[in-house]
Amino acid sequence: MPDYLPLLLMILAFFILAMGFKIQIGLALALSSLLGALVSGHGLALRHLIEGGFGYLETILIIATAMIFMKSLQKSGMLDAFAALLLRSFHRHRLLLLFSMMVLAMFPGMITGSSTTAVLTTGALAAPVLMKMGLNHLKTAAFIAMAGILGMIAPPVNILVMIMGAGVDMPYVGLTLPLLAIVIPLAIIFTLWIGSRGVKSLKQSELEEIIASLPVSDSGWRLYLPLILVVVLLILQSTSFPLVSQLGLPLIFLGGALFTWGLHWKKLNFFLLTQEALEEALPILSILVGVGMFIQIMTLTGGRGWTVLAFLSLPPALLYLGIAISMPLFGAVSAFGSASILGVPFILALINTNAILTSSALSAIAGLGDLMPPTALAGMFAAQVVGEKNYFRVLRYCLIPALFELIFALGFLLGGPFLDKIF
Amino acid sequence: MRIIYQLILLWLSLNLILYLFREKRFSYQLSAALVLILFLLRLLLIK
Amino acid sequence: MKLTSEKQMNKFHLGISLGLLLLVGLICFLTGRSFLSLHQEEPIFPSAGLTRQFRLSHYLPNLSHTPGDTRVYLFEGQEKGGNILILGGTHPNEPAGFIATVVLIENLKVKKGRIFLIPQANLSGFTHNDPFEANPQRFFLPARQGIRWFRYGSRLTNPVHQWPDPTTYTNPAGQKLAGTESRNLNRAYPGQPKGSLTEKVAWAIIQLIKSENIHLAIDLHEAAPEYPVINAMVFHERAAELAAMALMDLQMEGFDFRLEASPPNLRGLSHREWGDNTSALAVLLETANASHGRLKGKPSVALIVEGRDNNYVRAAKLGRLFVPYDERGIPLSRRVARHLAAVKTLASYLGELFPHQKVEFSDYPSPQELLQQGFQPFLHSPRQER
Repeated sequence: MPDYLPLLLMILAFFILAMGFKIQIGLALALSSLLGALVSGHGLALRHLIEGGFGYLETILIIATAMIFMKSLQKSGMLDAFAALLLRSFHRHRLLLLFSMMVLAMFPGMITGSSTTAVLTTGALAAPVLMKMGLNHLKTAAFIAMAGILGMIAPPVNILVMIMGAGVDMPYVGLTLPLLAIVIPLAIIFTLWIGSRGVKSLKQSELEEIIASLPVSDSGWRLYLPLILVVVLLILQSTSFPLVSQLGLPLIFLGGALFTWGLHWKKLNFFLLTQEALEEALPILSILVGVGMFIQIMTLTGGRGWTVLAFLSLPPALLYLGIAISMPLFGAVSAFGSASILGVPFILALINTNAILTSSALSAIAGLGDLMPPTALAGMFAAQVVGEKNYFRVLRYCLIPALFELIFALGFLLGGPFLDKIF
Repeated sequence: MRIIYQLILLWLSLNLILYLFREKRFSYQLSAALVLILFLLRLLLIK
Repeated sequence: MKLTSEKQMNKFHLGISLGLLLLVGLICFLTGRSFLSLHQEEPIFPSAGLTRQFRLSHYLPNLSHTPGDTRVYLFEGQEKGGNILILGGTHPNEPAGFIATVVLIENLKVKKGRIFLIPQANLSGFTHNDPFEANPQRFFLPARQGIRWFRYGSRLTNPVHQWPDPTTYTNPAGQKLAGTESRNLNRAYPGQPKGSLTEKVAWAIIQLIKSENIHLAIDLHEAAPEYPVINAMVFHERAAELAAMALMDLQMEGFDFRLEASPPNLRGLSHREWGDNTSALAVLLETANASHGRLKGKPSVALIVEGRDNNYVRAAKLGRLFVPYDERGIPLSRRVARHLAAVKTLASYLGELFPHQKVEFSDYPSPQELLQQGFQPFLHSPRQER
């Protein structure tokens, strides 16, 4: 049996199960992986299925705990209070407010290298502000999803580049400037494209009426303590501060949630909070398990090697096209996986260029993988933050910014030899 | 630190098991089971 | 009436939930048994020339009874001479280094000087496999009688032994890396006595080099054929002359090596930190292993041992590889033979450059014989007692 056949069957089975039978995406992935193992003669391959799932255990823990943290902030009333505060103070300078929302929503991504973290923490904080400013909920979700992706690419921590660097022995040094050169123009453009155009629909007088109707919080600054604590810990752990650098994101998030609960223990039930957060996160958690199984079986049947080789076989002129298509596409599996499986061979294929510039540009392309269904981590969580059930409706508004990011990064890649002289 | 992470997993696993029993929709139960397998194997430091 | 049907519904739901929970338990049991089976160590049968076998915790007591406390084999000659350390299994998914040291342990006799062998430098890494790579858990080699089994592990320390990873890892040498690299032994040098398990192992190896006055330290590796640093002999600047001399001999013997100077800005790696932190001459050797590349076809025991892969043949024709690769592949016997030839040549030039550091040995497994006859003559049969 040729190496691509089981993979083809798996993809087919996935679409039939997910689209035809409307089975949950995570389960559909798991079942199609099982099918792939069976038809390629590996039996149930239980060891491989579970081992594959473990590839995402850390991500799953981060997401589960971040969801609990976000729920605790929401229930404590902090998200609404913060939105009201910001709007009261800055509603006369909409553009300034929009740009600060972009930076705010990017920030956790910059220090953790994960778009999910950004969307679920300060992204959730920015969302109510944006919606009150007149941005509809879908555009709001697109705004914070794109901010999360930019945050993931922005320095100081870009895990995608670190992963690619590890594959080609490139130390993580000298990346701040090239990464900023990619991220800053995109951040400005995204803010104007999604934000500025969206908020114009609301008149200043209407906005002021909305603001007048916002509740005035009586809890004061205590409300903000948990978020401040988490942000401080996130910053400290990225500077390899002793002890804190060992904590890891799940502990920081769960600690933040417990702290919130400690401050508002009369109002919050930590057990119910966890149940609610898990219930909401479960679809994505099971997708991650399913995707892990899918990759492992894809590798087991030879489908992964076949795919990588197929893209590397492209003639030089088409290589860039291959990068533009395959890296975001493979990001459906995970942006990190895309950086490791495809990013490394692509850097090697472009060995004559400056690896720092190349990996920076490739990370911007791989980062788009977090918008690619079925996982679409950034899009899915952004949808959840604004209360939209169908994340495809959010992705629609991400399409043009994403295409823009892709073209911009490709330009950066092609212009590498020229840019080399600047950096 | 490992013990703290095991405690985190214990809390999440217990919650998942409870969810498994509360949830009426079979497909959601299955999803929970899928995640639970990973949690238990790491909680017991097997994988 | 309605009440009973509701009760029945509840019973039905309870049954399903319990059934699912049981299924979870069953899958955990079945897969858990498979995962745990990797904790069993493969037997190694040292030759009569072995002087002493002990654990690495000899050099760092708090490593004892941890999963990183790996075996050290010492071969000591009657006469005093040079001291050499050979490390295999730094990355357990690069079997040529591991098997090269095993073949040495099972055959070698030393007349002059001392040779320290660590076949499984990251012992914890042998107890699990990398997710997504779908590698076999074990591979098999023919012995004098019967078949021997060896574990094919992961590049990294088992997360069960060192968990959780930091988001980003700043190694003891100050280099910032992705968090998972905190479990990579060859990024953890010079290690820390109270650090993570991986850092402790690195520290203990540095202590071994220092306290045993090691003159030459060799780290055996493999790399994917698409990786630029391949077929390489990476040397610390103090070992430059030694490496250059050895290279000429090896090329005459038909082993293609290329010299690579250890980059000064790539910190935490053995060739850099051994050389900077101890007085040993440090060298790292690479061969090409198709089973751990990104282009590999179906992972299998055959791919590990025979090293034949059609994807790599095609990639070579496309000019994507850094080693010659054709339909014959690069079998494990050839990769191990390369390592053995390089170790032997480096050891003999050590004595020529520094006569008081001379090491003499007999029964050294011949690389040419290994190429022709495979592993069979060099591995003890599985049931044989020493």
